[in-house]
Amino acid sequence: MITKLIEKKIEKIAARYPDRRSALLPAFHLVQRESGGFVGHDHLIAIAKIIGVPVSEAYGVQTYYTMFRREPVGKYHLQVDTNIPAMLAGAEEIVTHLEQALGIQVGQTTPDKKFTLSTVECLASCGTCPVIQVNDRYYESMTKERTDALLASLRRDKMPDMPVETHFHTECNVLLARRGLPNATDIDVYLETGGFQGLERALQMSPAEVIAEVKASNIRGRGGAGFPAGVKWGFLAKDTGKPIYLVCNADEGEPGTFKDRQIMQYDPHLLIEGIVISGYAIEASLGFIYIRGEFAWIANILERALEQARNKGFLGKNILGSGFDFDIVVHLGAGAYVCGEETALIESLEGKRGNPRLKPPFPAVIGLYGSPTIVNNVETLASIPFIVERGAKAFMEFGEANNFGPKIFGISGHVNRPGVYEYPLGTPLATLLDAAGGVVGQLKAVIVGGLSVPILTAQEAEGLVMSYDDCLKKGTMLGSGGIMVLNETASIPKVALRAIRFYAHESCGQCTPCRQGSRTISELLAGIVAGRGTRKDIDLVLKLCDSIKGTTLCPTGEAFAVPIEAMVTKFRSEFESLVS
Amino acid sequence: MAGLATTLGSGAMTNSMEEVFKSKVLLVIGSNTTWNHPVFGSLLKRAVKQNGVKLIVCDPRRIDLVDFADIWLRHRNGSDVALLSGLQHIILRDNLEAADYIRERTEGFQDYKKSIDFFTPERVQKLSGVPVEDLEAAARLYATAGVGALYYCMGITQHSHGVDNVKSCVNLQLITGNIGVEGGGVNPLRGQNNVQGACDMGGLPNVFTGYQPVTNPAAVEKFSKYWNVPLSDRVGLTLTQMIPECGKKIHAIYILGENPMVSDPNLHHVEESLRKLDLLVVQDIFLTETAKMAHVVLPGVSFAEKLGTFTNTERRVQLSNPAIRPTGNVRQDYEIIADLALRFGQEFPRAPESLFQEIRDLTPSYAGLTYERIREVGIPWPCPTEDHPGTRFLHAGKFARGLALLTPVTYSPPAEETDEEYDLVLSTGRILEHFHTGSMTRRSQILDAAVKNGHVELHPEDAKKRGISDGDMVTVATRRGRIETSAMLTDRVDRGSIFIPFHFAEAAANMLTNDALDPIAKIPEFKVCAARLERIAVAALEQK
Amino acid sequence: MHLTIDGRVVEAVPGQTVLEAARAAGIYIPALCYHPKTGKAGRCRACVVEVEGLRGLKESCALLVKDGMVVRTDTPKVLQTRRMIVELLLSEGHHNCISCQSNADCELQEMAYHLGIERPSYLVESLPTPKDMSSGGIVRDSDKCIQCGRCVVACQHGVVNQVLSFAYRGSHAQVVCDDDQPMGESTCVQCGECVQVCPVGALVLKQPLENKIRPHETTATKVTCPYCGVGCQIDLHTKDNRYAFAMAHEGQWDRQPNKGMLCVKGRFGLDYIDSPDRLRSPLVRKKGKLEKASWDEALDVVAKGLKAIQEKHGPDAVGFFTSAKVSNEENYALQRFGRALIGTNNIDHCARL
Repeated sequence: MITKLIEKKIEKIAARYPDRRSALLPAFHLVQRESGGFVGHDHLIAIAKIIGVPVSEAYGVQTYYTMFRREPVGKYHLQVDTNIPAMLAGAEEIVTHLEQALGIQVGQTTPDKKFTLSTVECLASCGTCPVIQVNDRYYESMTKERTDALLASLRRDKMPDMPVETHFHTECNVLLARRGLPNATDIDVYLETGGFQGLERALQMSPAEVIAEVKASNIRGRGGAGFPAGVKWGFLAKDTGKPIYLVCNADEGEPGTFKDRQIMQYDPHLLIEGIVISGYAIEASLGFIYIRGEFAWIANILERALEQARNKGFLGKNILGSGFDFDIVVHLGAGAYVCGEETALIESLEGKRGNPRLKPPFPAVIGLYGSPTIVNNVETLASIPFIVERGAKAFMEFGEANNFGPKIFGISGHVNRPGVYEYPLGTPLATLLDAAGGVVGQLKAVIVGGLSVPILTAQEAEGLVMSYDDCLKKGTMLGSGGIMVLNETASIPKVALRAIRFYAHESCGQCTPCRQGSRTISELLAGIVAGRGTRKDIDLVLKLCDSIKGTTLCPTGEAFAVPIEAMVTKFRSEFESLVS
Repeated sequence: MAGLATTLGSGAMTNSMEEVFKSKVLLVIGSNTTWNHPVFGSLLKRAVKQNGVKLIVCDPRRIDLVDFADIWLRHRNGSDVALLSGLQHIILRDNLEAADYIRERTEGFQDYKKSIDFFTPERVQKLSGVPVEDLEAAARLYATAGVGALYYCMGITQHSHGVDNVKSCVNLQLITGNIGVEGGGVNPLRGQNNVQGACDMGGLPNVFTGYQPVTNPAAVEKFSKYWNVPLSDRVGLTLTQMIPECGKKIHAIYILGENPMVSDPNLHHVEESLRKLDLLVVQDIFLTETAKMAHVVLPGVSFAEKLGTFTNTERRVQLSNPAIRPTGNVRQDYEIIADLALRFGQEFPRAPESLFQEIRDLTPSYAGLTYERIREVGIPWPCPTEDHPGTRFLHAGKFARGLALLTPVTYSPPAEETDEEYDLVLSTGRILEHFHTGSMTRRSQILDAAVKNGHVELHPEDAKKRGISDGDMVTVATRRGRIETSAMLTDRVDRGSIFIPFHFAEAAANMLTNDALDPIAKIPEFKVCAARLERIAVAALEQK
Repeated sequence: MHLTIDGRVVEAVPGQTVLEAARAAGIYIPALCYHPKTGKAGRCRACVVEVEGLRGLKESCALLVKDGMVVRTDTPKVLQTRRMIVELLLSEGHHNCISCQSNADCELQEMAYHLGIERPSYLVESLPTPKDMSSGGIVRDSDKCIQCGRCVVACQHGVVNQVLSFAYRGSHAQVVCDDDQPMGESTCVQCGECVQVCPVGALVLKQPLENKIRPHETTATKVTCPYCGVGCQIDLHTKDNRYAFAMAHEGQWDRQPNKGMLCVKGRFGLDYIDSPDRLRSPLVRKKGKLEKASWDEALDVVAKGLKAIQEKHGPDAVGFFTSAKVSNEENYALQRFGRALIGTNNIDHCARL
């Protein structure tokens, strides 16, 4: 049953959105958190009634997102990231170790109902893998010893503090400028270090002037596609009589990517300032930060920062006396990779299954609640204050033609100092690998833009410059800038299998090639890796990849067909050695 | 349709169903649309969900449509006039009425207005049980949202003051300027597939086809000439008037496809009356409860075996085709009538299309319709000529009677109110899976399996007071009779109210209902009477 | 306006989609998720085409025609895609035309036929899922479901009964009733709209399945529903002069009063026409009992009786109840009989009831 108090809380959440249906995911989160760790049949019926959606749709939404459970779990829910960066860092051993220590298998709960063990997809801790998420909290850089210490503490019912050594460096001092400062999430620290000057400057300009400045900077969207942000803003439908919305895409879920998190976790006001300026430029009055559900604890950091910003007049009614009203709502996702695609994200924000929409129309014309909407990535928005405060020229001093600005690269896998590194676009890959302490062992291959881009052999990666254009020239993509380094110990067939399993798990299931294609390839690769495969299976994988390209409703089909094809083609002998 | 005919000059749904998508606000009263007209219910829900049309539902029961409503007014059974007039009071008080429309297209405003003064929100709250603030909100929404359509069904007409109810509906639509416009209208939803057609065809005691009065000498002359016989100009008796006259004024009744033994109020009385007839002829496809009493039963054919036109609730005349050949010693219904006519010395046409030609010849509103034109898609009347597209909504620009009449209304309580002995308000109606007297649906495998027996809807609190659990057998009694049925506990009905579906002859709701008639329309008060409900002791059941 | 499809010049009207224009011209483009009543969905990817001047494949169900557009439905990439779609769909679940209720009435089968695919080149092994037989009128076979989503859109946005929804995700995604209840225990009202739009054998009518009548064996006749006043246009399917099943008439559905929909009564309530209770002979009461009689005898009794009463008590001693269930022509005939041959206006029907 749902208490009156929870019902009141849901009502309060619903009031924050233009359409109360958006409160569906928050309501599930709330009930799960406050009513025993799951959303059962009765909860579901009650939530559907309060929000005013059919039970069938509410159930469809609930079961779409992996974070919503329908059965109770143990007091401590241990979720181990087993995606590729984690796999390269030894996550499988941690899982085995946990199974032995707890005496249960993955998916089970201990008889005393204290522990439940699960494996999950990428938690965006690629630089600090392996990671175990315990309830809402991350425990990173886990070794067997640290895992034992964690369990010992949990057995005493204490969530321990376990510091992590993280690696970072900034050449540009734009996005990671405050990464090392103590209390950098505090607005006072932000103000002392020059914060909100971009906003002050923006408010003295007209919205059109701000757009022009951003356009002039040639900043390309940092989410992965690299589309010029200023041009995107220019697509906004004018004079529709409908409100305009700005949505910050903080659904960082591309395996190998853990950059946006650095900004939100360590410099939330930078993002807030970027959103407010951008909201002003596109004449929106409401913005959303759609943040992946696993980042609930980062969402708390953001909420606190938003409250501070409101109190200081940087947010809310009549910002800094300019007459501009703008506010930001933080919206938690719930475990769905596809929601990183902007139309899926919008659907999810509307309280629906995160299914990408058929395009056109594009969000800039018909987006959130049917209104013109701009969706920008965290890193993109966090770059805006610099552009507005220092000017497009200053921004273009970083990087090279068509590839301007600072960029955060997340480096994981077989390097000595996995972590985040802010360098100008156009920095050679070799420089970045050096910054990350160099490769452990012999470089075999590298995936430079998150899991969805084609893998490069060590040879192909030689001389690669990390810019949109050079990556394209070398047959891959800069993507999100998540660089995964593989040395001679990595088995490409295993990596390929782990990759396709991820996509099969995350496929929204809407369109045939993605839904069935990912599943079929996954079965074929599993057979190959297990030694049950044939040469024909390898050809079938390639045929499927080729057929799937360009046929899916959203880019997810491409996102697995292209990299799997590359892995199989470039490392075919490794696959062939496994088959009869 | 008497209420509609007096005020607008024509008794039919003024607008078409698909116009719900053109409306801005809908008011549904006395219609459990999703059960009684499910497909139109779907259109309504779609308009609300997808087109953002506002919906006000007025119903004593928490019908399914309530879940889609912006405002639900849960008024007491029988307080419709008060409720509707209360809304009008607020609209006039706040000057939200369509003043130009009232001036240009209506008459009788002053007298009408005076009658509305009575219905202050506070008084209406007392009479209907609807809180003042809900009345205010509904009136404001309805008057300001834009073009509004009003839909009603038997919940409005089946009352001892049903005509006043209908007039209140019309008044509301007139003062808001919603008649004669696309997406507006006063729209009575017809409960059977050819009620509209039966009326159009002169199946009424006062009119020939196309509502040409039998009291109009010109009409009498026209029909008399066409049929080549002299005709009566005396208005005849209605069905509900004929029943009590059986054995007195009425000695023979010929019934075509009707089953008054289940459908009429106060059934004991119907049975007694029909027994007094010298000749009862029933033409039907089943040996219905009524046919069992007949002297002669003539087997006709079902809709699936015949060619012919049916006129739907939105006046759309549609052609239905024969899907199967009749089997057994049965005849087409028109043939049976022609066979009889022959015994009276006249040759009637023996083909549907020839009969339709006669209809066209005699009925201006049907004159432009041909089988060919309506073979694929039906056309709504009036359709005076063969090049006329038909009329989706009536009264554009001008009413059939010139100016529409705003009629004063007065509130009168239901003919029977609750008291200590009969403490529950009983209402009757349909359920989704069954139809009318059940003669068709209860012979359908799937529908019969879906709901086998009758029941009474009872509020859980009223049940608790009486020690009744869901599914218990209970007796329901009124001053006219008693039935046994099972209790269905549900908060669909309000406390103090019960509801019985009328499809089940073995527990016939109409053993209980009140045959008090509306003085003008002669419609019985099916929707409200006083009843008593008790649990049947287990011992008593076992004895049986 | 005109466009060229596979080298043929085809006429089109503005607002039409390429798929609609092609179909109107008799050019086959498969479309498994698009249905005129549920609209474009972009799910199946079967209808993709190539268009000169546009990059990549385009969904013809969503692509609006433009004057002079040059469309190809037969390029290698289009055919490769179609083959992949059919193979992928056939590779999952259990598609067995031999025993399928929708054999010869299946859009996936038709597509496979057009492409000459008999068997997919790979199979995903799975255990069969039991059919959901819990509903009175509808059988759900999730092993035949191709996830086109027509039924979900129809249920949520067409009839707005809001029972069917997609649940779960990816290849685990499936259509469920409410929160995954058996259909017969869910809030389903059995309007049957889901069966009406299902392109395959995943949602079928139970009655013809049990009676072993498949859609391709029946004859459809357009009739008007005998129930409420909406006047739904129904295709009444018969076999051997007996009722088989009912479907909403889809010819010009958007101009029909029911917009191609039915309710539980129209969909499942018509089998009474074959009821053994049907009267098959005139009956005349003899010595208090109704007995079979010839038409002549029965009609003579009626005529004589009416005449006698007419003579003895006058024409107004006779009353007629016409019917809200019979046709206009029959109502007309009876009131003519009453008025012209008996001479009374005592004519009424049960509109008030």
